[in-house]
Amino acid sequence: MDSKLFPEGAQRCSFGKFLIWTAVILAFFLWGLYAAVLVLYNGIGTTGLDNYFGFGAWITFDLAVIALGAGAFFTGLLKYILKIKQLEKIINLTVVVGFICYSGAMLVLTLDIGQPGRAWFGYWHPNVHSMLTEVIFCITCYCTVLIIEFVPLVLEQKQLNKIPFIHALAHNMHVNMALFAGLGAFLSTFHQGSLGGMYGVLIGRPFAFREGFFIWPWTFFLFVLSAVGSGPVFTVLVATFMEKLTGKKLVDFKTKALMGKIAGTMLTVYMFFKILDTWAWATGYLPSVGLTFDEMFYGMVYGKWLLYTEIVLCGVVPAIMLITPSIRNRPALLYTAAILDCIGVSLNRYIFTVQTIAFPAMPFDQWQVYNPNWVEYASSIMIVAYGFLVLSLVYRYLPLFPQERELN
Amino acid sequence: MSVARRTFIQLGAGATVGILFTPTVWKALDDVSIWTQNWPWIPTLKYGAIENKPTVSKMCESGCAVKVRTVAGEPFGTMGNEDNPISGGGICPLCANGVQVKNSPNRIKAPMLNGEEITWEKAQEVVAEKLAAAGSKVAVVSGDQTGTANEVFSALLADKGSDAFYVMPCDMQAADKAWTGLMGGTGQIGYDLEGADLVLLAGADALESWGPTVANLKSFAANESGKFIFAGPMQTKTASVTSKWVPVPAEGMAAFTLGIAYYVLQAGKTADTADFGQFKAMVMSEYSPAKVEAATGVKADQMAALAKQLLTASNPVVVPAGPVAAHGAAFALNLLLGGAMKALPEFAKAIPSAMSRSEMLKADILEGVEADLLFVYEANPAYALPEKIKAGFTVAFDMVQTETTATANLVLPSPHPYERFDDLASPYGLAAATYSLGAPVCESSVDASNAATFILGLADLGFESFEEVIGAKTEAIGADMDALQGGEAYVVEGQTPMAASLAANVLGKASVPVKGTGTVGLAPYTLLNVGTANQATTPNAPCTISNNQLIGDHMVVMMGSATAKQLGVTVGAKVKLSGGKGECEALVQIFEGVMPGVVAAPLGLGHTVGDEFSKGKGDNVYKILTVSSEAAAGASTWAGSTVNVAKI
Amino acid sequence: MSHFKEFKIKWGMVIDIDKCTGCGACMVGCQVENNIAPMTKSDPYNYVQALTKPRDDASNKLRTLTWMNVYELSNGMAFPEHETAYLPRPCMQCGNPACVPVCPVVATDKNEEGGIVSQIYPRCIGCRYCMAACPYHARYFNWWDPLWPEGMDKGLSPSTSVRPRGVVEKCNFCHSRYLQAKDKARMDGEDPMNLPDGAYTTACADICPTKAITFGDLNNPEHRVHELAKGPHAFRLLEKLGLHPQVYYVSEREWVRKQGDNYNADAGGHH
Repeated sequence: MDSKLFPEGAQRCSFGKFLIWTAVILAFFLWGLYAAVLVLYNGIGTTGLDNYFGFGAWITFDLAVIALGAGAFFTGLLKYILKIKQLEKIINLTVVVGFICYSGAMLVLTLDIGQPGRAWFGYWHPNVHSMLTEVIFCITCYCTVLIIEFVPLVLEQKQLNKIPFIHALAHNMHVNMALFAGLGAFLSTFHQGSLGGMYGVLIGRPFAFREGFFIWPWTFFLFVLSAVGSGPVFTVLVATFMEKLTGKKLVDFKTKALMGKIAGTMLTVYMFFKILDTWAWATGYLPSVGLTFDEMFYGMVYGKWLLYTEIVLCGVVPAIMLITPSIRNRPALLYTAAILDCIGVSLNRYIFTVQTIAFPAMPFDQWQVYNPNWVEYASSIMIVAYGFLVLSLVYRYLPLFPQERELN
Repeated sequence: MSVARRTFIQLGAGATVGILFTPTVWKALDDVSIWTQNWPWIPTLKYGAIENKPTVSKMCESGCAVKVRTVAGEPFGTMGNEDNPISGGGICPLCANGVQVKNSPNRIKAPMLNGEEITWEKAQEVVAEKLAAAGSKVAVVSGDQTGTANEVFSALLADKGSDAFYVMPCDMQAADKAWTGLMGGTGQIGYDLEGADLVLLAGADALESWGPTVANLKSFAANESGKFIFAGPMQTKTASVTSKWVPVPAEGMAAFTLGIAYYVLQAGKTADTADFGQFKAMVMSEYSPAKVEAATGVKADQMAALAKQLLTASNPVVVPAGPVAAHGAAFALNLLLGGAMKALPEFAKAIPSAMSRSEMLKADILEGVEADLLFVYEANPAYALPEKIKAGFTVAFDMVQTETTATANLVLPSPHPYERFDDLASPYGLAAATYSLGAPVCESSVDASNAATFILGLADLGFESFEEVIGAKTEAIGADMDALQGGEAYVVEGQTPMAASLAANVLGKASVPVKGTGTVGLAPYTLLNVGTANQATTPNAPCTISNNQLIGDHMVVMMGSATAKQLGVTVGAKVKLSGGKGECEALVQIFEGVMPGVVAAPLGLGHTVGDEFSKGKGDNVYKILTVSSEAAAGASTWAGSTVNVAKI
Repeated sequence: MSHFKEFKIKWGMVIDIDKCTGCGACMVGCQVENNIAPMTKSDPYNYVQALTKPRDDASNKLRTLTWMNVYELSNGMAFPEHETAYLPRPCMQCGNPACVPVCPVVATDKNEEGGIVSQIYPRCIGCRYCMAACPYHARYFNWWDPLWPEGMDKGLSPSTSVRPRGVVEKCNFCHSRYLQAKDKARMDGEDPMNLPDGAYTTACADICPTKAITFGDLNNPEHRVHELAKGPHAFRLLEKLGLHPQVYYVSEREWVRKQGDNYNADAGGHH
């Protein structure tokens, strides 16, 4: 029924089937929207957050999707600045994934701050010392950059592109894309880093505090590295998932393996510094404030197993898998490594957000445990559903995958 | 530059400039931020002249002297009164919330007869009728330990030929029974906590809820060099600042005190009474350290050490709590030591036919009350003494709704202490006779009327209003009304206490520890922020109530790990405590500051009537207290309560 | 990077733990002075409330707004060696605050003589980053709109504006009393920047029945806190973290002092 809108030479499922698919996604989205409306109406008291856990599921979710959405800027940097041509096969997808991740994170943030109407104060009353001011600037600017990078893809919609002005506009934007890619890479590096910096500057929280280089704590660099070490493979996973759903081949394996190699290399660099940092923190910083490594952990919920899983099973193991060609070039193993990698980064964000503030700094105080409730889950799932919705529409109507025709 | 590129750049630049310069965006953002500062449902403040007006507060049983902070005439907070020795500048958590209680929707708004609102004139008629019919079968239960309102009530009783005046169970009563009743002493016992160099609190939770708590705390803080020791079954908040905690079971306090007296007598101390010889013989034979240790578990060398400290001190004092026997034993010990115990002269009466304080403290409410017409004045016996009170017709005066007002026939709202004339005379425990009064700080927000004034309308006692009575009291005492209204207190020094006898015979018998038959001892304790027998927790106080008293809506009881093991329970276990005629549900908390074989439970929870901050929180431990008779002393006591503990 | 700020006047407290019985009067007095609404669980006008969690009542200690909070300490020994102590904790007004540098909108700052760390409600966007930063848990968030039972919002203190939901709040050493004290000094022809000891005190210090809390200018030798803070048994919480708190504690009991900071295993570890 809507076949006129399909990309050139592409086949898509029937409109009816698409509607059913959309309806299912919409159901999750509306459930999450319901939760979001309740939060805005009643207050953030509706969540499982409390005075000990001012940050929780939403911040973890935000940081995780922002890290995983790093495929956008890094791939952009490599393609437009370093001119790695192979990446043009997947660059559109990275942009869409990036756009979904960042716009989704910003939507969650409107729920997470107590007075969303004042969100613009970050611009009007910035604090030069605050990592969060930096994050606000860079994330909003970068989201704008992503929109600018996304717009040409939309303008290339088969019917829209027939309009001469639109075609010219799309062409000009493509020509200038390197500028935006460079800008995006610059902004991204800073806010990925600043998100890590947010935790590293907390002198009151021994779990997260780190020394650093000039004004940037080591966590600044670790967060950038972990983002670029996982973002590309997250995009690969998204592409593969879409292939499984649609039954088509969308990106050739060579490109996927290249993304794996890129991510794997950065992940290896990251793991080297991460292990070094953890060791230095445990043996150097902690004793200097009278604490031991063991004291940083509590029971099962904030146990050492979390740290070891993050670093070994979901860090070192996927790094090795991704930089070893014989492993990387086998699809099942590539995807396994990618999944472990993405879980590892998400775990890292969770640990830094939640365990940092679970540790009771004062000796006579108690550990507390944080449990998000349905409102937080639902609103997060709303963003995932939003992502599914955007990707479904983009895949159906826009020329997302340049190789689609030749591979099928 | 190609046309297309030029168009693109023009478009881009134009769009950016347009967005930046249109006023809509900036105005909208600015407006939004102003809206977010002025949400209409957030109350705004009223400003004006700030005045601190002195008055007295009756929120706790002793009463206190405070200053009410007002802005443009409207009270908003409470502070202490530095010029008044009862406060010394500090206040307790109850008074700190006085204004909030005053403004609470839980206030009784108008007289209610069997649930229906009536006028004050009708109320007067109804009561006058009941009074005429009851003849001498009239009784009064008063929750006010120190006010001249009691004179008005007791004068009414005298007018009707009744002497059925009751106070809620309190240490003031036990002390009086021991001192004037058994030992033939005169005056009210007081303790110079500021001047003493050694204070043994034998069960008296003086720094948390015993006596004039704020004055006690002030004295404790001012007494830089004095040493304080707390003895009791549980490490109360008092014990957190005393030099030592001596674990002593509540029912063994009298024996423990006499055990110390043994050493003091051995050191050669005497008292100037006719029965001293008899007393000494009794103690040396029946309260030897070995015997006391066997009966109470307190080690002999503990008592010896305490005795030594008391003997070396130049101005020691022992402060008792609980049963009459414990008071008697402590008074005897103080007489032997000759330290900082004082006897306060009583202030002259305003109404000649009123009872003296001693007379008011005679009747034992734990034996039950039966009357045709009962007046309950700012007390809550339906909560703290369930099933003890039987009356044909009950008239309850109170400012907030309680279990008692919910079951009374006629409920008459009394003004909040800040809204009325009131006074307080010598709260029990002070070292000097002290009189304070207060005038209303603001008008009553409900249709309330002073209870004593109402009573004055029922009989010809020679006064029209309570204000007149207070005027007469002031004159009779010889104090300056203006100074008093300005917040100062009228003080008469305490004297050296003199007793006719050491009540050797009675004390000997009554000091034997008597315990219930349950498996574990019950140590009930009172925290002011949790609430007293008459005053439930106040609106801002619940956040100060810790997880050792209340978790969610469940009461918490504390016990040592050894006791928990013996009972087969762990932290957080849900248990049922059965004692007396009732049972309570609670969660278990392990706290090493409770004696083995004892469970500590907080009083003041489990209200079934009240505001949302007190209703339905925890369970009512008064239900499971057992009354044992101090037959020899002619009194009843809650000490020695035991309970059975079962897992749920 | 240190954000240590020094001022000529340094308002601070010395709290004597050996005098604190944990009665809670300071906590109640603070709530009354600063218009903190009692924790009301049900909102009779909000029908939408029932669709999510009910509001919190005061038994949820992780949601209460206790700018002044009293902690119970234990020496961890078994009966009969067990001892307790109580420790009142206001905002430390740190010399090198963890919270001030992190606020993205400068809603909190340490920029005034006296060194009180401010919290500006109309500026705060409610991101709670400052709460994540503070190890003393001195900062509190308005999870709900304040709700007074009917009639109870009549007598509000003129000292502190009422906060809506979604903003962070904390103890500010009763700053409006500082402004009043300075005004009074000006009216009396005295130097507002040289207030005598006691001209300006906080509500909690005023109310405490044992005067366990002493408030004053730590830099002024004529204020009692100046000497008390230098006493042999004075200590501060978490000194090793380098926050330079302006609240000192005193206790003659060593086990209490040891719980003021972390000492690498045995002494002062967590229970």
